[in-house]
Amino acid sequence: MAIIVNLDVVMAKRKISSGELAEKINISQANLSILKTGKAKAIRFSTLEAICEALNCQPGDILEYKPE
Amino acid sequence: MWSKKRSLLLSKWVTLLFTLLLAVALVAAPYIAQKFIQASANAHQWQFPLFLLSAYSGGAVAATILVLLYCLLYNIGVGQVFIQKNVSYLRGISWLCILGGVIALASAFYYLPWGIVAAAAAFIGLIVRVVKNVIAAAIALKEENDYTI
Repeated sequence: MAIIVNLDVVMAKRKISSGELAEKINISQANLSILKTGKAKAIRFSTLEAICEALNCQPGDILEYKPE
Repeated sequence: MWSKKRSLLLSKWVTLLFTLLLAVALVAAPYIAQKFIQASANAHQWQFPLFLLSAYSGGAVAATILVLLYCLLYNIGVGQVFIQKNVSYLRGISWLCILGGVIALASAFYYLPWGIVAAAAAFIGLIVRVVKNVIAAAIALKEENDYTI
């Protein structure tokens, strides 16, 4: 897919584990893994908002468009 | 009290009952065909082997449909409704109905009323195909929903 999820990069920068982030944004670790591995087909605004709040970043830091 | 579980159980039992009836009908096919020829004003003795050929080839198709139907009901019973395997089962049932229709259509050349069976089988095949399309679309929707985080 042309949309790349850079969540793992931002998480590494913030030094936060998957379990910790999952707990903070109130989603399961399995769903966070789907998001991190780029398997997700869509992301809710509420989830994106929670991630941005937890990681103190912008949506553009997490999502990136790369033409195929 | 009537429940979804009991409804499914009823469907399974009816499928098994039809399987039993089919087995009995196939075993007794020569007797039934003979009696039918004797009772019918339009059927003739020379058609006897053709009736048996239609019965056995149609019976094989019907048996396969019943097996696929039971597999489908089993999957529904274990909670696996929107899976690709069920779409495959429905596709198989649909094509087998069409095949049954073709057999009946060919049989209509020696005994015209088989044409009604051919039309009915093709129509059921069409209905099953539409149901298959619905399930395939539902799987796509479910997948999208499952992967929306």
